[in-house]
Amino acid sequence: MTSGEVAQREQQAPEGPFTTRQLLRLDEALRIADQATGLNFSIYLGELSEPVRASAEELHRQARDQKHAVLVAVSPNQRVLEIVTGSEARKRISDRDAKLAGLSMAASFAGGDLAGGLLIGIDQLATHAGRS
Amino acid sequence: MSVISTVLVFVIIPAAVIGAVAALVLSSDRGKQSRRYRPGRPYDFPAMWFTATPGRAAAAVDGPHGLVIEDSSGAPVRPGPTGGASDKW
Repeated sequence: MTSGEVAQREQQAPEGPFTTRQLLRLDEALRIADQATGLNFSIYLGELSEPVRASAEELHRQARDQKHAVLVAVSPNQRVLEIVTGSEARKRISDRDAKLAGLSMAASFAGGDLAGGLLIGIDQLATHAGRS
Repeated sequence: MSVISTVLVFVIIPAAVIGAVAALVLSSDRGKQSRRYRPGRPYDFPAMWFTATPGRAAAAVDGPHGLVIEDSSGAPVRPGPTGGASDKW
């Protein structure tokens, strides 16, 4: 799946669990995170096949500019989330920083706040990465 | 206070207010099912992938930070193709 397909789907309007306002906020958060850090943030929301970690890394390999890509993969049905950082991104966002962001996101998801958790996670990851 | 006005004030008017509020609540819930995710409930939406402006991320590469091999706390970063973290809720 490419980002172009997703953009089309968003225009058709809310097929997913988010309201239009939440989609706009997510889009803005991703855009600001990308601009500020120079990394390539993306969010995958959907089913992950077992083993979960390996399939998240497989998705990460599909990202453009893989070295600088940071993928946040969330599977609400399986109740798991995976943060995958590329080899260059990993030098700026350590595994411990990613785990910290993961904890905050999981806390929000457990409360049923999908969009809020994603926003918090992107914000924390971008903050840890610092400015480029 | 006559019997009629007593009944009007203590029965008819409260009943009308309760009825109006109930009608508002029921009418707003009908027709649209809440799409919000709740833990434990099935989540059956198609998979989505959000990225921001794929073109510009490639532009900003290898600044001075590209050489940093310590994280914010000064701990060295282990070498490896990908890093990250996992969590459950």
